[in-house]
Amino acid sequence: MAAAGALFDQVLNGLTIGMVYVLLAAGLSIVFGVMDVINFAHGEFFALGAYFALSVAIATGPGGFWVALLVAPLLVAVVGAGVERFTVRPLYGRNPLYHILLTFGLVLVIKDVVELVWGPQPYQFAKPPVLRGTVEILGYGYSVYSYFVVGVGLLIAVGTWLALTRTKYGLIIRAGSMDRGMVRNLGIDVDRYYTLVFAFGALLAAVGGVVIAGRQSVSPGMGDSVIIPAFIIVVLGGLGSFRGAVVGGLAVGVVQTLVRSYVPVLEGLVVFLLMIVVLLVRPQGLFGNPEWAGADEGGDLLTVSGGGVFDSTLRRRAGAALVAAFAVVPLLVGLPSYYVNTLAVSIFVWALFALSLDLVMGYAGLVSLGHVLFYGVGAYATVLVVVNLVPSLWVALAVAIAVCTAVAWVVGHLSIRVSGVYFSMITLAFAELFHSAVYKFGWTGGSDGIFGGFDPTYGLVGGPAVRSIELVGDVELFYYVALAAAVGGYLLARRLIRAPFGSVLQAIRESEDRTAFVGYDVTAYKRRAFVVSGGLAGLAGGLSATLTGGVAPEFLAWILSGEVIVMTILGGMGTLYGPMLGAGVYLVVKDVLLSLTNAGSPLLVALGEFWQGALGLLFVAFVIFVPEGLVSLPETVASRIDRRSGGGETIAEDAEVSD
Amino acid sequence: MSTDDERTTDASTTNSTATDSTTDASTADSTTDASTTNSTTDVPTADSGTPDGRPDLGGDPVLRTEGLTRRFGELVAVDDVDLAVDRGEFRSVIGPNGAGKTTLFNLISGALSPSEGRVVLDGEDVTALSPHERVRRGIGRSFQITNVFGGLSVEENVRIAARSTVETDLSAWERYLRSTDAFDEVNERAAATLERVGLADRAEERAGALSYGDRRRLELGLVLATDPQVVLLDEPTAGMSREVTQSTIDLIDEVLADRTLLLIEHDIDLVMRVSDRITVLDRGSELVTGTPDAVAADPEVRKAYLGGVADE
Repeated sequence: MAAAGALFDQVLNGLTIGMVYVLLAAGLSIVFGVMDVINFAHGEFFALGAYFALSVAIATGPGGFWVALLVAPLLVAVVGAGVERFTVRPLYGRNPLYHILLTFGLVLVIKDVVELVWGPQPYQFAKPPVLRGTVEILGYGYSVYSYFVVGVGLLIAVGTWLALTRTKYGLIIRAGSMDRGMVRNLGIDVDRYYTLVFAFGALLAAVGGVVIAGRQSVSPGMGDSVIIPAFIIVVLGGLGSFRGAVVGGLAVGVVQTLVRSYVPVLEGLVVFLLMIVVLLVRPQGLFGNPEWAGADEGGDLLTVSGGGVFDSTLRRRAGAALVAAFAVVPLLVGLPSYYVNTLAVSIFVWALFALSLDLVMGYAGLVSLGHVLFYGVGAYATVLVVVNLVPSLWVALAVAIAVCTAVAWVVGHLSIRVSGVYFSMITLAFAELFHSAVYKFGWTGGSDGIFGGFDPTYGLVGGPAVRSIELVGDVELFYYVALAAAVGGYLLARRLIRAPFGSVLQAIRESEDRTAFVGYDVTAYKRRAFVVSGGLAGLAGGLSATLTGGVAPEFLAWILSGEVIVMTILGGMGTLYGPMLGAGVYLVVKDVLLSLTNAGSPLLVALGEFWQGALGLLFVAFVIFVPEGLVSLPETVASRIDRRSGGGETIAEDAEVSD
Repeated sequence: MSTDDERTTDASTTNSTATDSTTDASTADSTTDASTTNSTTDVPTADSGTPDGRPDLGGDPVLRTEGLTRRFGELVAVDDVDLAVDRGEFRSVIGPNGAGKTTLFNLISGALSPSEGRVVLDGEDVTALSPHERVRRGIGRSFQITNVFGGLSVEENVRIAARSTVETDLSAWERYLRSTDAFDEVNERAAATLERVGLADRAEERAGALSYGDRRRLELGLVLATDPQVVLLDEPTAGMSREVTQSTIDLIDEVLADRTLLLIEHDIDLVMRVSDRITVLDRGSELVTGTPDAVAADPEVRKAYLGGVADE
């Protein structure tokens, strides 16, 4: 009886969390179903709901909770409408990838705004007295608040379902999610509904945020903590399926809670495993439309095809000059400080990482949201080899590359069968699976990672320690190792791209169908690209661990996947040098912003503290206005000038490309 | 080429059987109706499916479909279709919108897998093969919406297609590290293809920057470069003016003259002029197959077509 009571308690807890997930996932799913937008900022709407509720409740005093429950979601809906109108709308018709990128930028912005307004500290939110206390059933006390959350969730879920199935708006929205073009042909302006749908999704998330605020503390990281599970639920249930979101949300809530108490080893892993298994068996999710899983999302990836900036000779000279400068300047004049040495090395490392992502994203059209997996695994492999086997840096890096190509081979085999958004999600799930897993084991150092005993050497079995050799002033020999890796990686990639292999990859990016119908095994080529890319990313990770002097679970955090995508787009994917350039610019801008915190003027200090938000804004602007990245800037500017001086040529060319 | 030998042997055997089955009935009526074809679906022998009454084209079917059916939920897009296309034949597939023409092409080329039935190329059952494997065995196709590698140069477009025929023979070094400029034989073949489709002087241009008609030409070049036996052309003249349509069809006739052609086309006059035989599809089923004259005279066709037109 006691066991049954405890179990019931757990199930109720699970349902409570599950209901919050339902609220989150339903909005995400409807927004995707209707407008094909993958909204990473959805978790931030959830957080905003909690924060608005906090402020509203404080302002209104007693009974504030109830006012907040009504007002906060409406406020968030207004924010959502604004976000749709001014940032999402310009991107309709482009590949869904751009929404992922855009909303990733929005995450950074909203999170920093929240911190700026409410500060980094967590808040407790006072529940109204009615909802405190417990109800006793069979000798066990159950929290009234849990019942309240489940009740509110049910009410809203049923209401939404009725609205979707019984009203004219719902009908149009459902029809629009099946075939937008058809609905448009019927003379209905679907686009007008987008703002409404997006705002409604934000509202649902905000309700989730308000009710969760009564259960746990309100903190800036709360959006981060729910967005990944919410995505998993949406993918599990089937993108665009309301029923899937409800069933998936409740199931994940209950399973998560039960696993936490009964099989703690699997905590944090089970959800990802569940999603991977479901996607492998039923790629469209539990209730998804099977036609979608294989469907081409349409909308082109805006890669810089053809020449890019400048002609190739000039570009080659500029590149050679840049590398020469990186190689010679430190030896001649030294670097201003050890700090600059470190910054330069991390630019080389991230340039290599961005290059590896570009091979799959810019060339094979595979948007890997979990590329940090290889970076992290490479880092762990390098550290583990040095600590446990041989201290040689070379052996360790070779092992890291080998392990990462093997992991990429397996992950590639499992995930490249599904396409588009599903591929992105399954790679994200794999990365998160590894991220959660490293916390579990002793040999990975758990949450502390491994920092002690990591002393790589330059010899094959021993020799001088890597971090002990300084050449001139603050320039380490390792600086040249990283530079050589970045340049070597670039040259290898260039060779691959100019060979038949790369030529087929570019063909795949241009048109998958056409490539298959001139006789190529598209899936096999994508897999090969994924494996090469995994190896390069692993090398970047190994070098990064060496630079850091150890490894920790943060090496596998999904936010790094986001950052490397940002760099790639920023620079210009589809060119090899673009993403490398993007990595450099990103890291330098980030560094400058961060250094502002030490500046004299309070305004600059504020900007420095807002560095993430500032980067996010920059990124949002880039995705909207310069989607082809920095390398396309000269051309864009030139064509603007051209257009102004009366040349209509560029317009004609645009029309040509878009058909 | 080794495949040529196979083709010849295969051709000689099929030839005899096919003539057997055609001789007696060919005089009876000049059109084939769907029921005759359907009745032979289950007979396993390679060529007994050849329907009666066709003009003598050698009676050597290079491509056959047997009971080919594709359902989308309740809708039967292609319903029990038996085709036998002879080597070297110019066959057109016509039918009202939604008759299942493109779905039929997708089934033959492997873009879709059938709910039932088989696709047989040169005596080999290719139903289970993926699109690229079918291309390697000699099925090429063009798309309804022009589909070329827009971001790449015209030359690289054709080179990619030409290289696919030798792709499996490449060593790892050649595939991954050797510059695409260094594959002389492939590149010569690509250059010859460009010459044939009349794009040799635009080799350096970006494919996406070509005019619509030129992109259509390039797509033909892509198909041609893979050296197909059978070419499926899905409305190659869609969106073209009458004159351009004529020149495109002339081009097809010229560069693909030695291949077996399957064409989806809306311009009936054109189809009547160029086809050896015509298959009429209606609501997924094969209504009739026969010479242009026979099809034009067929009352069923007139009903389906003119009825359809009258409805609009």
